[in-house]
Amino acid sequence: MSLDTETDLNLKHARPHAISSSDDPSSKAPPQMESAQTGLDFSRYPHMQKNLSLHLPKHKAMLSKYMSKRQIKGLIKTGDSIIPGDGKNFPAFSETDFHYEIDRMLDFMTEDDRQGALMLLGIFSFLPKFLITALLLFTEKSHLFPNIVAAPLRMINIGIRGMIFTLYYSKIDDQKGQGQKIMDAMNYHTTIVRRDLNATSGSQDVLDYGLYIAPSSDNMKEIYARAHQSEKGLSKMPLNMRLKYIEALKTVILNKRGAIIDRIQLETQKSRSDALFSEIFGVLDHLQFLCQKAPKALGDAKVKTPIVLMGKKSRVVFGPVGTVLVISPWNYPFYQAIVPITTSFVAGNATLYKPSEFTPLQGLVEEILLEAGFERDWIQVIYGDGNTGAQLIKHRPDKIFFTGSVATGKRIMAAAAEHIIPVELELGGKDPMIVFEDANLERATSGALWGAMTNTGQSCTSVERLYIQESIYEDFKKILLEKARDIKQVVDDNGDSDIGQMTTTAQVEIVSKHLEDAKSKGAKILCGMEWDRKSVKIPPIILENVSEEMLVAREETFGPILPLFKFDDESEAVSLANDSEYGLSASVWSKDMKRTERVARALVTGNVSINNVMLTEGNHHLPFGGTKLSGIGRYKGVWGLQNFSNLKSVISESMSSKIEANWYPYTDEKYGIFDALTETLFKGGLLGFIKFAVLGMKLENYSNKAGKKGRNRSR
Amino acid sequence: MACENKFTSQDSRTFKQRDFDAIIVGAGISGSFIANEMCQKGLKVLLLEAGKHFNKNTYPTREIDANSQLYWSGGIELNTSASIGILRPKGVGGGSIVNQALVDRFDSIALDSWKEQSGVSFFTQKDMAPWYDSAEKELAIQEIPEQYRNGNAKIFQQGFEKNNYKWAPLKRAQKDCHFEDGNDCIECLSGCRIDSKQSMGVTVLKKALAKGLYLLPEFEVLKVSDLGDSVKVLGIDVYGERRTFRAKKLVMASGAIGNSKLLLNSGFASKLPALGENFYTHPQSMVLGLYDQDINAHKGPLQSLKSDDTTFRANYFKLENVFAPPVAIAMLVPKLGHYHLDKMRRISNMACIEVAIRDTHAGKITTNSKGKVQVHKELDTRDKETQEKGLAAIYRIFNSTGAKEIVNGSFAIGLHLMGGLGIGTNDKKSVVTPDFNLHGFKNIFAADSSIFPNAPGINPSFTIMALSKMASDKIIRSWQ
Repeated sequence: MSLDTETDLNLKHARPHAISSSDDPSSKAPPQMESAQTGLDFSRYPHMQKNLSLHLPKHKAMLSKYMSKRQIKGLIKTGDSIIPGDGKNFPAFSETDFHYEIDRMLDFMTEDDRQGALMLLGIFSFLPKFLITALLLFTEKSHLFPNIVAAPLRMINIGIRGMIFTLYYSKIDDQKGQGQKIMDAMNYHTTIVRRDLNATSGSQDVLDYGLYIAPSSDNMKEIYARAHQSEKGLSKMPLNMRLKYIEALKTVILNKRGAIIDRIQLETQKSRSDALFSEIFGVLDHLQFLCQKAPKALGDAKVKTPIVLMGKKSRVVFGPVGTVLVISPWNYPFYQAIVPITTSFVAGNATLYKPSEFTPLQGLVEEILLEAGFERDWIQVIYGDGNTGAQLIKHRPDKIFFTGSVATGKRIMAAAAEHIIPVELELGGKDPMIVFEDANLERATSGALWGAMTNTGQSCTSVERLYIQESIYEDFKKILLEKARDIKQVVDDNGDSDIGQMTTTAQVEIVSKHLEDAKSKGAKILCGMEWDRKSVKIPPIILENVSEEMLVAREETFGPILPLFKFDDESEAVSLANDSEYGLSASVWSKDMKRTERVARALVTGNVSINNVMLTEGNHHLPFGGTKLSGIGRYKGVWGLQNFSNLKSVISESMSSKIEANWYPYTDEKYGIFDALTETLFKGGLLGFIKFAVLGMKLENYSNKAGKKGRNRSR
Repeated sequence: MACENKFTSQDSRTFKQRDFDAIIVGAGISGSFIANEMCQKGLKVLLLEAGKHFNKNTYPTREIDANSQLYWSGGIELNTSASIGILRPKGVGGGSIVNQALVDRFDSIALDSWKEQSGVSFFTQKDMAPWYDSAEKELAIQEIPEQYRNGNAKIFQQGFEKNNYKWAPLKRAQKDCHFEDGNDCIECLSGCRIDSKQSMGVTVLKKALAKGLYLLPEFEVLKVSDLGDSVKVLGIDVYGERRTFRAKKLVMASGAIGNSKLLLNSGFASKLPALGENFYTHPQSMVLGLYDQDINAHKGPLQSLKSDDTTFRANYFKLENVFAPPVAIAMLVPKLGHYHLDKMRRISNMACIEVAIRDTHAGKITTNSKGKVQVHKELDTRDKETQEKGLAAIYRIFNSTGAKEIVNGSFAIGLHLMGGLGIGTNDKKSVVTPDFNLHGFKNIFAADSSIFPNAPGINPSFTIMALSKMASDKIIRSWQ
């Protein structure tokens, strides 16, 4: 599938493909593979039709792996000196974008040649064009000089003219068609007719991303073969080079954010603000974190060497694990793609990425990676459902990063157990928010509403249990309901909407089930009762009188339902909050910072926001992950980078002829010394330290002699 | 998992074999021919190639990629005085990917000169004939029919006839160029996309792979060692990993520069005093003639005719009717700016003839302390005079056919890289014996252009094939 053929607004691309058979129990997908798109009337969303295709110009945000900005400036200037254009058929060098293709040459030059050329271009960047021209013409007079001067002049001539002419006259397939224009200007056209293909070759290379639909196990082998091949190159790429790609990706996403939001919105039906705040902003923030902190996080870490091992050096070296399989959910499809993919990449791994079949964002990740200069096989995108995920696991990635439901998480962990593949599971939550009586009601109610309703409640960390201290319950409830009724719910085109609609019909059914169950067991619906239990446009629904037997009290709803609970005192609040099979995030609200600290520490959870809600995730320096059924592992932050790495402990010393104390022979004499040394070392005290030093030397000398002499050898 | 398939090349990551009957360094013409001969005899052969393995579907189609990926150092290399541009092919098939596949047997002038210099007795028409015949059987050979000869060929022919120079149609190793389809075979300078040019991949290598050849591309050999009764080869693969392979015998087939560099860097200089010496390159100077009418030298078959003149031969040069794609032409046209654009604008009004001289001033290949190869090659007075004679002939041709302007190419190029491991009987003055092994090393062989004792003044490739056939025969016999 060529990039170039995707210019037309083919809405088919936006729909997930009907992929697997429906009778596979490993698949969570409902048989008919429907999503919110079904029945969606696109005529109501004209803005989406404008920007659906991310047809990108072939400008790479990262122009060259090797050239600094100054050198690029020099290249363009030199190009114009050599090829000023004729104002008619031959464009000036700078009027073309050919210099973007410079790496196609630089990749294959020797290090010396490349450095020499780039240094020259750097120098040329400071000179006026006429001087560059004069210098180059001067190099043509090399025959007037002895070889010692003539040779470098000729090298400069060939090197610089070679670079410029190669870029200009190679019929590079640029967006503006300049390559072809120059051929036309020269009336230079050549063809080769491939009878075997029934086609004419010599045309544009087709860009093949290897988009796979329902890959068979044969494809799996190829997928992993490509991944393994990429691994080697990536592990040898220095970290700061990898970060250049990240930097480029950041630029691409920033520039394309409008179109990306369009795609996210189309497939998830969330509000544009949700897409911008959580997905775009979050991703960019994460990429920035990687660029800033990865060098330190993944650099060799010196570790203390205890005194018994004096003279040896200890460190931890971070390296890749190999091939990482990332399986992403449908609620934040862009964020949950880019964040783990880029973390995996920065750690030096090859990545296989399987998006949710409900929100595949087909082609999106591939396009932005390609534009940022990533090579195709570093990150492979494989479309499919649970079945595909299972097959991918069967072929043994080196690590699995899964975000999704507990049920699927269990299946994945079981499959991984077969080959002892490390898994990181980011599963569901039933997160509590605890509001104490001294909390500011305005702030806490706004926070609660957002925490419960953002992304239409479809967040792992959304507030699904709101514990309000009894004394402020009524006041809190009143303000909360006012604000809830104010919520604007539209799949908008301009940012003027608080929340959008549900993404999958399956989730709508679960929300409906929880609501009916709660209602039938005596819960009171305070707002949102107008929902017809069927439509994807579920309004904010707030419940009270919720009891423990109700589904909505214990099971993850993953929709805009917020049950309210009362509590008496601190210990009850903590107890209620911890009484859950989940433990992903929590928030505690109080003026009393000592209280918030106590509660934060007492909560069994992976993340706590104090006097805020769902905010730990907003700081990409903080790790993220859950306890209990909410999952295993932590990603993001320095810990995240290290979790995608292999930690290798290295202890070293220079070669000597010494025989170590812990090596043979174990004689009774050595036993005695060692025993005494053990006592002095671990007993401590200043005298002990001196004793230790003496004993240590004794042990070392004895061991060395005894080791060389041996027990029975006559030496 | 293509690696287990014997009919394609190997992938270093899954390639597990370590020991072989023979290892051949360089999958060019010589390496491919010898590999095939050995595989047909059932030997276990590893053919190592530093470059990539392309086929008709994957050859680069843009000059920027062809220059970068089909030649060492990303394109052009230079002698120490930067006066000659050296084009050293890199890839499975070697020179046979980027050459014009011209098929020429050596004449007595070349063979006599070789016999005299080297003392090797089989450098006679009679002794070489059966080996040329044997090589010819591996190739389809054609001439370009007259009706397809392009404008450049017409100027060549006209100019020759007007000046009483003798010309002849070229013999090319090609099968089905289908000129009637309008194919412009200048494109085959970066690999033939219709499998007509008889590159190694569609001839002997194909046969060798079918017979179980292990071909490992993108593997650069760094060092070779002789262990007495076996050999060891150390190199670096496409993943950056160092690997060692062992074999009973080693064949050096990486060309004049490649072989010299490798042996020098492996410490063979002390045992082989003539290593790297007597390097020749048939320096070629291209000249462009600009005409009022369209010549379209880039259309149709690239080269149809050659000079076949005894006076030229006696004066140590020949003329070839060539052309080049735009980047190469741009490099040849001197200066820059509007002068340059003015010439490039008229590329389809250009005819092109080059003079290739039979250089007599020996060059030398050395390596520096970092192992980097240095090519010392200059034209002495005599070689320069030869060049002048050739250029004079070209000017006459252009002037007599109505050229409005003549542009001399800005530098000479060397495509035929010869010598460094010259064959001969004297172990002080030559490197390879008449049995094709290195003097003093019974298990290391060479039969490519590196063993040429001097410049023959004739295209090397067919003779490389014949010598490789002869060498294969001798090497295989030496096993028994």
